[in-house]
Amino acid sequence: MFTQQLMNALAIGSVYALTAMGATLIYGILGILDIANAGAYLIGAYLGWYIYYATGSIVLAFVLSMVAVGVLGILIQKFIYSPILAKPNTLSIIPLVAAVGLFTMSSDLVRLICGPYSLSYNFDFGVTSIRIGSVVLVPAWILIFALTAVLLLILWFILNKTKLGLAWRATANDTEIAKVCGVNTSNAMALSYILGYGFAAAAGIMVGILYNSITPALGEVPSYKMLAIIVLGGLGNPLGTVLAGLIIGFTEVFLSAYTSIPIPKDAIAFVVLIIMLLVKPEGLLGQKNKV
Amino acid sequence: MLEIKDLYVSYGMMEVLHGISVDVQDKELVSIIGPNGAGKTTLIKTVMGLVKPTSGQILYNGEDITNIPAYKRAGMGIGYVPEGRRVFGKLTVEENLQMGAYELKDKAQIAKNIEMVYGIFPRLGERAKQLASTMSGGEQQMLAIGRALMLNPQMLLIDEVSMGLMPIMVNTCFEVIKKLNDEGITVLVVEQNANKALKIADRGYVLETGNIVLSDTAENMRKDDTVQKAYLGG
Repeated sequence: MFTQQLMNALAIGSVYALTAMGATLIYGILGILDIANAGAYLIGAYLGWYIYYATGSIVLAFVLSMVAVGVLGILIQKFIYSPILAKPNTLSIIPLVAAVGLFTMSSDLVRLICGPYSLSYNFDFGVTSIRIGSVVLVPAWILIFALTAVLLLILWFILNKTKLGLAWRATANDTEIAKVCGVNTSNAMALSYILGYGFAAAAGIMVGILYNSITPALGEVPSYKMLAIIVLGGLGNPLGTVLAGLIIGFTEVFLSAYTSIPIPKDAIAFVVLIIMLLVKPEGLLGQKNKV
Repeated sequence: MLEIKDLYVSYGMMEVLHGISVDVQDKELVSIIGPNGAGKTTLIKTVMGLVKPTSGQILYNGEDITNIPAYKRAGMGIGYVPEGRRVFGKLTVEENLQMGAYELKDKAQIAKNIEMVYGIFPRLGERAKQLASTMSGGEQQMLAIGRALMLNPQMLLIDEVSMGLMPIMVNTCFEVIKKLNDEGITVLVVEQNANKALKIADRGYVLETGNIVLSDTAENMRKDDTVQKAYLGG
């Protein structure tokens, strides 16, 4: 039972980390809270569903959906956020309002095109469960955990071991000086969007697989829970986001499994956030003073 | 080498530079002095392409660079030491220097240039793996200068190098600047510390509320009554 809960918590925590990673990468470099990431998650889940039932391939469902949503991210950055941020003295509320608008629009578009009902997400893994001793593992959990690990490792590698990643971190640190060093900073922003939206799409498909169904309202809970996770992680810090995602996933699963506290599951993230902010206001891995 | 012609710059409705002309000859060390808010930093930022002028021209080696985007100017040979140092605080010392060499493809060359900077500032070599934000102001200023040297620039633009530094560090920085100039790098210094800036310079300009009010050799400026009263403390 405990091992089961542990695997479940890992899977959910992974999905949370991946969902919030997009918003983290975007906040890190543009300083805006892109709620529309939850729209990318929703669209990714639906695209994955259509691709899976058209081709029968889980791999294609992930790859094509991530690429398509990543490209969508770049378009949104180029045609919506960049023009807004290019205006002098843009108040930070303006891109946020645009993000909320984009998110609402994406939910309604999905509702109009795909219908308001839920779609069943029965991906066939060939086996229904794997038994190791007394522990029963659901293949979906293993897939989710392994895929998240691979994606996050790729992200870590890009950010820390490549010149592109160095340029990304420098741009996130000081855009103007990065520019002077020769970085085409709009490419660094595009990298945030293609990775961020691609990751969100993968997370959407994972949630579909995990809960066996998707609805046009799929993005609503992540749209605000994502905020709790990125703030908890220290705003714009990728490693902090992974930690925060896992912490929230574990807290939710274990609190609802072993206690009978009367608060709804989706509120737990915010309880954790409030406690955290009282103890360490800069977040798990945030820095006190921005340098 | 650098020629700024009749430059006008505005922030929104407010004009901050009203037709500035400054020229810097090959191998010269030129200082622009003036009080806080005169537009010195704006002038330097405009040369680097971070601020767009409303009119006027910037020529570098005879080429008009006024409309070239900032990130494409990096490889042209101008090194920039910004006001307030602005090292990448979340990157290590070595990564900061790598960013300075962003335009270079050749890894061996980058390593060589990093060694050259460590040669000038041994302190940076000792702290290669440390995050820049954890260093003292003086060390950060060395790093900012080192970063600007990573592309072997023909010219350095140095903005308020003395700001917020202990006097001993200020002296070190000015000595390094003088030495770099002696080695053949053209330097344009923008500085509130008029005394130091004019001591090492060949020529100087005085910038006040967006206008060049005086320009002469540094020696004459040091003797000039009004400059003495206003900027050299008597």
